[in-house]
Amino acid sequence: MSPHADRSMPSYTLNCRMHQEAAALERLCQVVRVRGFRISRMTMESAGEHLDIALTLEGSRSVSMLCSQLEKLHTVAEVALAQESGVRSVSA
Amino acid sequence: MNGAQHILEAFHRHNISTVFGYPGGCIMPLYDALVDDVRVEHVLCRHEQACALAADGYARASGQIGVCIATSGPGATNLITGVANAYMDSTPMLVITGQVPSGLIGTDAFQETDILGMTLGIVKHSYLVDDADALPAIMEEAITLAQSGRPGPVWIDIPKNMLLAEVDTPALAKASEPEADCPDIARAISLLRAAKKPLLYSGGGVALARAEDSFRAFATAAAIPGVVTLKGIGNPGKNNPFNLGMLGMHGSRAANKAVDECDLLFVVGARLDDRATGKLDTFAPKARMIHIDADSAEINKLRPVDLAMRGDLNQILAAFTEAMVEEPLTISNWQKQCKTWHTTGGFQAADNEEALAPIAGPAFIRQLSRIAPDDTVISCDVGQHQMWVAQHYEFDHPRHHLTSGGLGTMGFGLPAAIGAQFADRNSTVINVTGDGSFMMNAQELATIRRYNLPLKLIILDNQCLGMVRQQQELFYNNRESHINLDDNPDFVAMARAFDIPALFIERTDQIRRGIETILAYKGPMLLHVAISREENVWPIVKPGGSNKEMIDETRRTNTSTKEQVA
Repeated sequence: MSPHADRSMPSYTLNCRMHQEAAALERLCQVVRVRGFRISRMTMESAGEHLDIALTLEGSRSVSMLCSQLEKLHTVAEVALAQESGVRSVSA
Repeated sequence: MNGAQHILEAFHRHNISTVFGYPGGCIMPLYDALVDDVRVEHVLCRHEQACALAADGYARASGQIGVCIATSGPGATNLITGVANAYMDSTPMLVITGQVPSGLIGTDAFQETDILGMTLGIVKHSYLVDDADALPAIMEEAITLAQSGRPGPVWIDIPKNMLLAEVDTPALAKASEPEADCPDIARAISLLRAAKKPLLYSGGGVALARAEDSFRAFATAAAIPGVVTLKGIGNPGKNNPFNLGMLGMHGSRAANKAVDECDLLFVVGARLDDRATGKLDTFAPKARMIHIDADSAEINKLRPVDLAMRGDLNQILAAFTEAMVEEPLTISNWQKQCKTWHTTGGFQAADNEEALAPIAGPAFIRQLSRIAPDDTVISCDVGQHQMWVAQHYEFDHPRHHLTSGGLGTMGFGLPAAIGAQFADRNSTVINVTGDGSFMMNAQELATIRRYNLPLKLIILDNQCLGMVRQQQELFYNNRESHINLDDNPDFVAMARAFDIPALFIERTDQIRRGIETILAYKGPMLLHVAISREENVWPIVKPGGSNKEMIDETRRTNTSTKEQVA
């Protein structure tokens, strides 16, 4: 599914805590992409043995399903859906 | 003890006695350690893809973890298809690859690839070892992780210097098991009791959870009509009177009809794959759903559930069985209806009595099913023969049916059969393949010969890519495009070149003798079976279409058909 296809795209903010491991961020981004979301903003802080990542995402699929897929990652310690930021209009 | 020796120590701790691999530059320290190890049998395949697929077949047949090993670069990239295959079908697998020494990573060194980055989407988890002292703990965690919860492949990429480094005796870590989540079994039982037309829908998760006995106890106690996915074939056993067989694109009319009519779908260890459900909008439109699975991400993924349960299938099913024994369901009308559908809309293929007639694929498989011992392991490839096996072979156990369900990997069958034969050297293992699939890993005939494996190969040869040809005929106006294989090699001569005896048959009256001959032979043997190029798998649902719109042989058109099983 192309995340660019829909005219109105819900937007979400996810906070994610991951263990510091090789390719942790790539793993996170890969799941986000393949499950049908686009990252519009991303911040990351290193905190001891963890990485704290805040993602703003756009996508028309179920964000709870994305959270379930992210929670399956062995490197992910915690995923929290901070807020549903609303609907953003994009050109088709 | 160096890093490589710690890997073997981990194998010993976890009773891993068979591994499939291919040596090369960066993995040589591990192969050097193998020289002195008498507890691990290393099976040398002839291509790394076959190593991964053999490890997959070993795991499926045995229920134990499969292990494959390769070097960096092309060795690692050749594993990818096999690992993706394991990922899609949730096979527990440990993948070990050598990597260029740490200092050379990122310098485009000889045989360097970023295999960790390349494979993120096809592994349950992966590691790049950057500290040799961490290797023993990583091994422990990886082996546990591959087999826990929903199993899957775990990949450890190890730079050569980490394999050579001296490693102190480690403190071992253990991955935690996922917590079960069974909110309300009483409510689930009451949903089941309230249903007038409940249907059991089971998949590959039953065998993965080693819950075959619990599943059968429940299916028998509840006497619920049931359908199975491709990977669930064998779950109910041969003699379950309420089993309607496989559903989906090439499922039986009876199975798809029952799904269409049921008012409760009781899903056990299945993920509602698109090949099984067809168009989701029209799938089980009247049904509520109870979904029991090891993976919480599968719950509500494609269809909202009324009640979900995640955890040990054995415990959950035992609780249901107890309730069913105490108070059986009263669904006799539904049972009768399903039996009628099964009689009129089950998989049927007339056995051609005409001795000189060409061999029909389904008829051959039915004969094979009657003649082969009950505990025979059938390892399929992908295509028409795979579906004929799924439709017409009667399996008594899910581990007897090895098939590439999720990825649909042509070339799976032969190496997977090798893996299954190593899982049990005394079992009867048959690779049923097509002429297209066979050629994708035919080099493994050398592996069969090297280890003198007694496995049997049956090539159903229609001189084309039959499943693609069938879909071109039905859905692309019969415009054949690049499916012709009429320049296949002489398969009998090819087998003999590997010192494997072979037979060729082409007439119906040769089927029995052909099958009996290869089964009676003590060593490996190949049976080359010529079948018609024009034969199709029936019924079929157009890809993306509704399971209500099955097309059968009498309607070889693009027109949707109305359900005929009423």
